Amino acid sequence: MNDELSKFNSLPPKELEALDRAAGWSLSALELAEVQRQFSGMGRQPGRGELETIAQTWSEHCKHKTFSGPVVFRDGKRVRKYKNLFKETIVKATRTLNRKWCLSVFTDNAGIVEFAKSGKWGLAFKAETHNHPCAVEPYGGAETGVGGVIRDILGVGLGAKPVLNTDTFCFGRLDRKYRLPKNALPPERVMRGVVEGVRDYGNRIGIPTAAGGLYFDDGYLLNPLVYVGCAGLIPVDKIEKKVVPGDLIVSIGGRTGRDGIHGATFSSANIDEETSASAVQIGHAVNEKKALDVLMRARDLGLYNAVTDCGAGGFSSAIGELGAETGARVRLEKALLKDTRIEPWEIWVSESQERMILSVPKGKLKKLAAILDSENCEYCVMGEFPGDGRLLVTHGEERVVDLPMAFLHGGVPNFEKPAVKRAVKFNSKAPAAPKAWGRALKALLAHPNICSRHSVITQYDHEVQGGTVGKPLQGKYGDGPGDAAVIWPQAATLDLKDLSGFAVAHGFAPAVGRLDPYQMALHSIDEAVRNLLCSGADISRTAILDNFCAASPRDPRVMGDLVLAAEGCRDAAIAYGAPFISGKDSFYNQSKDADGREYPIPISLLISATAPVEDVRRAVTINFKQAGNPVYLAGASLRGMGGSVYNEISDTGNNAVPALDMKAAVKLYAALAKAMKAGCVAAAHDVSQGGLGVTLAEMAFSGGLGAELDLAPAPRGKGLTSTELLFGESPARLVLEVVKGREREFQGYLKGLPAAEIGRVSGEPRLRVAGLFDEDIAGLKACWRKELI
Amino acid sequence: MKGPKAIILRGTATNCDIETFNAFKYVGAEPELVHINQLLAGERKVPDYDIMAFPGGFSYGDDISAGKIYAVKMAGLSRDFAKFIKGGRPVIGICNGFQILVKTGFLPENGANAQVSTLYTNDCGHFIAKWTKLKVNKKSPCIFTRGLPDEIELPIAHGEGKFIVEDKKELGAITGRNLHALTYAGNPNGSMLDIAGICSPSGTCLGLMPHPERNFFSWQNPDRPAAAREAEAVGHQFFKNAVDYVS
Repeated sequence: MNDELSKFNSLPPKELEALDRAAGWSLSALELAEVQRQFSGMGRQPGRGELETIAQTWSEHCKHKTFSGPVVFRDGKRVRKYKNLFKETIVKATRTLNRKWCLSVFTDNAGIVEFAKSGKWGLAFKAETHNHPCAVEPYGGAETGVGGVIRDILGVGLGAKPVLNTDTFCFGRLDRKYRLPKNALPPERVMRGVVEGVRDYGNRIGIPTAAGGLYFDDGYLLNPLVYVGCAGLIPVDKIEKKVVPGDLIVSIGGRTGRDGIHGATFSSANIDEETSASAVQIGHAVNEKKALDVLMRARDLGLYNAVTDCGAGGFSSAIGELGAETGARVRLEKALLKDTRIEPWEIWVSESQERMILSVPKGKLKKLAAILDSENCEYCVMGEFPGDGRLLVTHGEERVVDLPMAFLHGGVPNFEKPAVKRAVKFNSKAPAAPKAWGRALKALLAHPNICSRHSVITQYDHEVQGGTVGKPLQGKYGDGPGDAAVIWPQAATLDLKDLSGFAVAHGFAPAVGRLDPYQMALHSIDEAVRNLLCSGADISRTAILDNFCAASPRDPRVMGDLVLAAEGCRDAAIAYGAPFISGKDSFYNQSKDADGREYPIPISLLISATAPVEDVRRAVTINFKQAGNPVYLAGASLRGMGGSVYNEISDTGNNAVPALDMKAAVKLYAALAKAMKAGCVAAAHDVSQGGLGVTLAEMAFSGGLGAELDLAPAPRGKGLTSTELLFGESPARLVLEVVKGREREFQGYLKGLPAAEIGRVSGEPRLRVAGLFDEDIAGLKACWRKELI
Repeated sequence: MKGPKAIILRGTATNCDIETFNAFKYVGAEPELVHINQLLAGERKVPDYDIMAFPGGFSYGDDISAGKIYAVKMAGLSRDFAKFIKGGRPVIGICNGFQILVKTGFLPENGANAQVSTLYTNDCGHFIAKWTKLKVNKKSPCIFTRGLPDEIELPIAHGEGKFIVEDKKELGAITGRNLHALTYAGNPNGSMLDIAGICSPSGTCLGLMPHPERNFFSWQNPDRPAAAREAEAVGHQFFKNAVDYVS
């Protein structure tokens, strides 16, 4: 390879491409040509370390070229052009809303919103994906995914204290037989590895894993998705960071080794048989806990001016980002190593875990070192930020990188991507009724995308820090499916009198995305907001994160899905008044199976949402509380079975996607929020996968109570069938148990809005829906309570 | 009047230190978070405190076995600890703290401070976090469980919580004196005789796997009506008892 490197600038495109593949940079032809042009201009050949730095800095993972690049979208004859898709959709919604409680958006490692009314705290929130590593090495991939997103929270501003982890996974179906290609892991193994990785890392570091989801679909067979999120509290006067010229570059936490070479560039490649597991890092939670404990103490003493985490690209990205304006002088021989057989350029780009980079004034190093020593946390001083705008990296006498920062962070060439709308044929015929309603409900409850997640949830310590008020498992027996996590961050505020908290919930609807990516985005944001509402949060202050996962963006249909989903995000965020504060995307989630068949994932958008809970004592749970209380269905049920679980177990032939009426939903939720604040609501649960029947069953068996119901008064769209009403998944609906004696007041709040009493909670443990079914709640629960792992 | 001084011992990856600190503060103690390194360096001294707590977590990653490394670190100060624990000042070890007390040989108490029991990997083979019903042994000398109802509910969160002792003699030494202060109503981990927590014969040192600091306030319970109940839940009693005992 050294031979090619010595004549890099004059290599013809074919040889350049071969070199790129051999080195694992994942740079495009256009980018390689730009590098040649730049170095020819400088009158010299690039070194290996420089090319590695450029590959990391320009990688899809670090620069998000696809999403923030130009796109031309075609829907038949209609054409829409975007110069920067991300800015013109996601960012635009946030700019349009311009909420003053958004303290930091899109610029730092996580978004930050105001927390509680004291004015002292901000809430930092971030979600990431770690898909490619988990496909190759599920346990290590999941561990380092969790570790990475926690470091984003530690590295936001001057450091936030993590108080909640979230995780959402997508795997191939466990109940199907697949013919897998060589090297591909079966979904059971991927799932087991991922769950154990999240468990062992999250539990050891002492952050509750209390929100998320599990989703099974053929599309994720070869490309599992692993979304990991973290939320933390930060004092508002610690949000600003600024490297001061003359500051020392201090690396704390883990040592550097050969694990995770090329993780950033690897995320821009399709996974194939040659993919190497050495691209996956090795996690060590205890090292990160040490760094966490040190950072919280040092932050409050003001011992550093800036901090960021070593994530993708390792030192090259972290030091490169911190020194983007000042430049950086790095001496790689100072790095603490866990493997001495490492090349200098490998030290520079290694993604070894649990490392944080601090910018430390010379006069404060001694104090910082004392804290590091007292917590047994290793560190090394690697150089300084000089202020000359130059990146100079050496190893002894060897010059590894010598470039102006402007080159790295400036000219990434970008090119226009074509996008087209997928052709989907819709059918909206009336779906037939099932032979037996009760049996259909039981089949839905047992479906892998609906059944109980307790066997996974109970492996996570979801209550460490003592603040998980809204639990993932709730109700009379502590086993009902909660809609949102409600966190009371007592371990961060240290103030037991302050009863304010926050809720976190998700929305995810890839089955709708296969049919209509625009509606998928709307449904997902609606679901996330509705889940927050069910927990009693103040949804007028909802902030959201977008995490897009898609197949190869070289396929114009995939780009079309992305454009439509991004447009949906923009429209729904504005309609719901919920700004995006951070996000991430992951592409190239596409692989071939043993028969050469392509397995692209469906467009997958995870919406993570958070909103304040004014008084955690008043958080609401899903289970029925009291016999005799009236049960209400709020929100109109619409026609269409598209994307429903029911269609999967018994295809109705109707694949129409119910179009969300966002204005109506926003009005309804605002009224419900008032009724809930007034204390009229004893329980609330959203209608989502499986439809209304599943929602009612879950509320009943989680509370050990039955219900006597009649759906005749349920608000509905024209021509709605009972199948659509009970098993359709039209959005913007929730079921509420109202406190007996307060019906009038409740109705007052909902005057003129689509909501109707559909019956009463009953002491007899049976769920009866007039004319449709009459089932014992124990039987329903038995179908639902499956051991997934 | 100043409250009793409570030392909340921590080390690397002690994770429940802050909520334990908060709990002691709420019941009127003056808690202080102290790293084992500070004790070993002589910056803080064990005899200066009135109450001692070993909080939950994964001290030193649970490497070798849960609580073992912390116990080894304590060995250098074993005299101070023995004097404190056997001298009758209240000591509570929760989850990883219980594991530490067992690995040091302070619980079950014996003359030689030898380890006669262990907390082994749960029968299910992995970590579990869930709420469990517990029976309170009313005949136990334990000072922490005084005044509790016959049955209480607390969450557990551990991978190594199966309490086993060397032989029948040691087991008899526990049951014969009612040192098993808490037992599980439905055994979640395979512990002998469903034991969830044991105390010293004087009742002043308690080790337990469940987390009383996580059911300290009523709103921490998964089964909760929307309207708030009385603020304090059963876990509160454990901490209050310790403070009352020394006040």
